[in-house]
Amino acid sequence: MIGGRGESQSDREALEKLADWCGRFSPVVGIEEAAAPESLLLDITGLDALFGGEAQLAGEILRELAARGLTAVVAVADTIGAAWAMAHFGTGDREERERGRKGEGETHWTKVAGESPLLPCSPSPPLCSTFILHPSSSPLSPSLPVIALRLPEQVAAMLHQLGIDCIGQLEMLPRADLLSRFGPELLRRWDQATGRLGETVPVYQSQPEWETGCWLEHPTTQRKAIELVLQKLLERLEQLLAHHGQGAMQLTCRLDCPPERPIELTLGLFQPTASARHLLPLVAMQLERLSLPAAVVAIHVRASLTAALQRRQGELFSDLSPWQNPRHVAQLIERLSSRLGSRAVVRPRLVPDPQPELAYRYRSLVNDGCGQSRRNGPRRPAAAIEVPPRPLRLLRRPIPLATVSIVPDGPPLKFSHSGGQHQVARTWGPERIETGWWRNQPVGRDYYRVETTTGHRFWLFRRLRDGHWFLHGLFE
Amino acid sequence: MSHQNPNPIHAQNPPQLIAALRRQIARLEGVHRPVRPEGISSGCTPLDRLLPGGGFHRGTLVEWLSAADGSGAESLAIVAAREACREGGVVVVLDPRREFYPPAVARAGIAPQCLLVVQPATEADNHWTLDQALRCAGVAALLAWPDRLDGRTFRRLQLAAEEGGGLGLLLRTQAAQAEPSWADVRLMVEPLPAAETSRGRRLRIDLLRCRHGAGGQSIDVEIDDETHTVHLASPVAAATVRHGCSRAS
Repeated sequence: MIGGRGESQSDREALEKLADWCGRFSPVVGIEEAAAPESLLLDITGLDALFGGEAQLAGEILRELAARGLTAVVAVADTIGAAWAMAHFGTGDREERERGRKGEGETHWTKVAGESPLLPCSPSPPLCSTFILHPSSSPLSPSLPVIALRLPEQVAAMLHQLGIDCIGQLEMLPRADLLSRFGPELLRRWDQATGRLGETVPVYQSQPEWETGCWLEHPTTQRKAIELVLQKLLERLEQLLAHHGQGAMQLTCRLDCPPERPIELTLGLFQPTASARHLLPLVAMQLERLSLPAAVVAIHVRASLTAALQRRQGELFSDLSPWQNPRHVAQLIERLSSRLGSRAVVRPRLVPDPQPELAYRYRSLVNDGCGQSRRNGPRRPAAAIEVPPRPLRLLRRPIPLATVSIVPDGPPLKFSHSGGQHQVARTWGPERIETGWWRNQPVGRDYYRVETTTGHRFWLFRRLRDGHWFLHGLFE
Repeated sequence: MSHQNPNPIHAQNPPQLIAALRRQIARLEGVHRPVRPEGISSGCTPLDRLLPGGGFHRGTLVEWLSAADGSGAESLAIVAAREACREGGVVVVLDPRREFYPPAVARAGIAPQCLLVVQPATEADNHWTLDQALRCAGVAALLAWPDRLDGRTFRRLQLAAEEGGGLGLLLRTQAAQAEPSWADVRLMVEPLPAAETSRGRRLRIDLLRCRHGAGGQSIDVEIDDETHTVHLASPVAAATVRHGCSRAS
């Protein structure tokens, strides 16, 4: 129980921080599953040897917590349920009893410590703070109250009404009746505590928020000042990220400028990076194109997408030419995407589609939340796609042509384009391209490559539906 | 990426060895200016013979002018870009009008993963992108269609190319002929009526301007439709053009 009741969110956050911190004692740390959790669960199987025994480990935990200004109760038992019960309802004399029996190393047993941190100013400090249950002893003392079984409130209230207050009374009742009267939860919790039913520690994985922010003492519209603050924030973010070996793939900067809506700058990156020196110019580039509607009062930067940093050693005698170094291109892509937007900096991928305008797709190279990312979905190996002769310039919209064709189904003899009359000298075709009715706009076209008497080359097609001619591409 | 540069230890010839070692020392000293090897082929052997150094030079600009649509200048520029990115690096295509067609380029021999297509929305963005891409050492070649280039912008692009070490291929209309140029080479491409027997298209390349070389020369070349190789056109009279249609395939 950290903080007062009614602040469940801040309690939870404090507990999560503590769970993170407890990673120094055990690799498996969990937070109890409850509406208002107040216990941490540590799986210490096989760890006692590292600390010189379970008692030493418990002592170490208490000492470290005390150094942080927290008092806690530590219980070590074979099951989570038993440890929880002892941590919450254990009594001093029992602890003494158990202490006397410790010493036989049974390291292959699953030991779980339940830990209930208490406020330093707790009104009723527990009589003792360490309970260690030996595996050979019965996991639950009959004198423990039934609520030590982590029961839901209704079940506990019902038991209380019936006058069943301690586990010893519960043990005298037939199991079948317990199930029908109190529901499955009571038996589940009981079995978990005694070890009849397995239970694992719900592992808490911290999801650190790579975010840092700053409130300006004097709201400002001065870009130089904003840039300086951004630099500080990015340096702070760099520390946060680098500490975890992470680099930002996507960076969001939020400038709060009330009463207007906050401005968000999103920056996609080609490679994960934590370097503030690298990020600042990219952000500054977006900033200089921005008009600030009002004075900025707060700035936040957040790495909204991260990936493991790739570290690269420079080669002293590198045989690679400068244009073979992928870093140069990565930086170019980031610079371009930052100013022009991620959709404007793309790499084509060929698609086996007969319709010429659909035979390729562009995908953006950085991830800034809008546009298709290159990391979405598994990348298929690029199969070699045989491309038939195609023009280097494909018009976005085919241009209708006035043509003269003597043979009804043949290529045209003459057509005019951009103010000039073209006489056709050579043609290749037809290449019929038809798409199915299931397409939104199915096409049926006969394509001809034509070369005029002057040597210019065009790509024409006749629409099968009505026989109209169109210019679709230019062999530039 | 294969290691193209031979290890200097294995270089037989002492001048070669010294040159290779110099390059390494320069790299160790942190000199960012790219090491310029000899000219890179334009992909068109007859044109290479006209150019001093046997081809284009990295870190320079090349202008391709053409009078009308469908004239074939871009095909030649693509062939040059293909040669430029043979040893690695990307080919940046600046396509503000969004009519660039990647499948045709893939067919001409540049893999789509070597391409980086940029679609700036405004002319200012277009010029900025040109500058940025040319300045980048990872760019082997840049393909762009700059309409207007004032002298100062042009000069800046030339300096950017010099810094980055890529080959800037600028496709422009004939109107640019009257404007001053900071390009190393200015070429005019004009299609020729095809010979009846030819497998490709015939183009005339006029070397309008060439630094350290003689301008005013012209050659007729033929691009093979299937292999996209460029060779000297056989001297056939243009009069052999047959009017009407011939179904060649």
